[in-house]
Amino acid sequence: MDKVLKIEQAAALVTDGSILALGGLSMNSSPMAFVRELIRQGKKNLTLVAIVNGMAVDWLVAADCVRRVISGLVSFEGMGLAPNFRHAVESGVVTLEEYSEYLLIARLRAAATNLPFIPTKAGLGTDVIGLHPETTRLETDPVTGEAYVACTPLPVDVAIVHAHAADVLGNVRVDPKLLWMDNEIVNAAAKTIVTVETIVPHSSFIAEPHRTTWPRFITDAVAEVPWGAYPTSCFPKYGHDKAFFSAYSKAARNPECFRTFWDSRLAGPDTHAAFLQANGGAATVNRIRRPTT
Amino acid sequence: MNMVIAGADCTIDELMVVTLARQFDNSTRAFNGAVSFIPVCAYLLARKTHAPELVWAASSIAIDADPACLGESTLSDSIWDGAVMLSNSPFDFWAWAQGMRYNTFAFRGAQIDRYGNVNNTVIGSYDEPKVRLPGGGGMADLGCMIPDIYLWSTTHSPKIFVEQLDFRSGIGWGDGGDHREKLGLPGGRKLCVTNLCVMDFHPESRAMRLKSLHPGIILETVRESTGFEVLLPEGEVPVTETPTEEELRILREEVDPTSMRLREFPQAEN
Repeated sequence: MDKVLKIEQAAALVTDGSILALGGLSMNSSPMAFVRELIRQGKKNLTLVAIVNGMAVDWLVAADCVRRVISGLVSFEGMGLAPNFRHAVESGVVTLEEYSEYLLIARLRAAATNLPFIPTKAGLGTDVIGLHPETTRLETDPVTGEAYVACTPLPVDVAIVHAHAADVLGNVRVDPKLLWMDNEIVNAAAKTIVTVETIVPHSSFIAEPHRTTWPRFITDAVAEVPWGAYPTSCFPKYGHDKAFFSAYSKAARNPECFRTFWDSRLAGPDTHAAFLQANGGAATVNRIRRPTT
Repeated sequence: MNMVIAGADCTIDELMVVTLARQFDNSTRAFNGAVSFIPVCAYLLARKTHAPELVWAASSIAIDADPACLGESTLSDSIWDGAVMLSNSPFDFWAWAQGMRYNTFAFRGAQIDRYGNVNNTVIGSYDEPKVRLPGGGGMADLGCMIPDIYLWSTTHSPKIFVEQLDFRSGIGWGDGGDHREKLGLPGGRKLCVTNLCVMDFHPESRAMRLKSLHPGIILETVRESTGFEVLLPEGEVPVTETPTEEELRILREEVDPTSMRLREFPQAEN
């Protein structure tokens, strides 16, 4: 079965109100082209699962696509807090369901493996455990008397990840095997949509099966979007665009500036290629491209 | 650029890096998180001076990375050059953290209390926060998993060193005493290095205790800058040992020639 879709078609698979898990970590390998398309299609009431994230969550929150965020951390690292996310949580427009990184991983693993809970020592003695006693339960092992946290399943409707290559059948290669926590969300998800830098011949997967990350029965749709993680990175092809992060943060200080930035450089352009063009085009691509070794 | 410390021929960032680096040895197996220039510099400096076997996973990913200079993020590929392995978060990292294959980590915090517990979640009440901070990320996890955890702060003030955290994102010595042990958690906080002083933890109460004052810093300044009562060591408070010329040369020329570590200081221009 051919799983290749245009990005517009792939984004249309996401229905309003669904639980959407975003791949990548912080400034790395987020499915930004897909996120932009969700915004353009005006999705509503999404619940985002984003273990460690920044720009993707901030965009979707700014576009009013989000009702709830399930996360361990949302920021622009050294470039500061994610401005729209911060304001939306402070004002109560968006509900934050907060865990630590590993508690989230454990919850996703419980969902992926059909277990009632996964035990861990992560979070013991912190206030994080008290936030959601229904999903991260403090328990004691009846045999050894040891304390642990029981993490209940976190089912995901759709996982969306960005990868390096796929064939038309939906076999996917993350290459090198930098999976961040993408495997956790993919395994917990009912549906997985993958955007890739390039579609390659099926024969290349047969030639090097040891480089395959997810086989076709794990994936539901594939969309080819070169530079599809921009402005986050896609190692080793390109790094994140520091200039975009800075300009975005600066614009967000003033609503009028942000509106202009949003229309001209973010949501306005109708394709990912046009979006790249609006952000410097070839000059930007040359700046973020990593030297090939 | 930070000011040169009188009588030390180095700046405060350099003193902090060197102080931290001297804590590590060949058995140190460390990794780093976001905005962690000071510890990253310290791991690299230790490896390039007295601890050649030290393990450092850049961004928790790139094992034995040896970058020619640091990039503007400590959580990106800008510091991965020279790595022997790019490891995976779920399979490698979290297994190695829980198995204590990694034994060393360093935290900053928007708030730190006397027992080295940290907050990076909210300032104010949780439900109606004054400031919604980035979130604890892996703080709650790693505080329970890694035995040797160091704290650092480039802005030692009563706003950061508080009597009571607004939220405990990561456990240090918990409520003090044997709290960690009772929870079945390994190790604990080792040391806290700030722009004013070095603090360790009392072996029984586990409360923060002054270990040394940086050159030119008086006890009164540390007291005024700390929201809780800092314990004092017995006898005279020592002055933090200053870096050697060789340590400074390696830090300046080989570890961080573009001075990315200054990004952690308020006056730095980003």
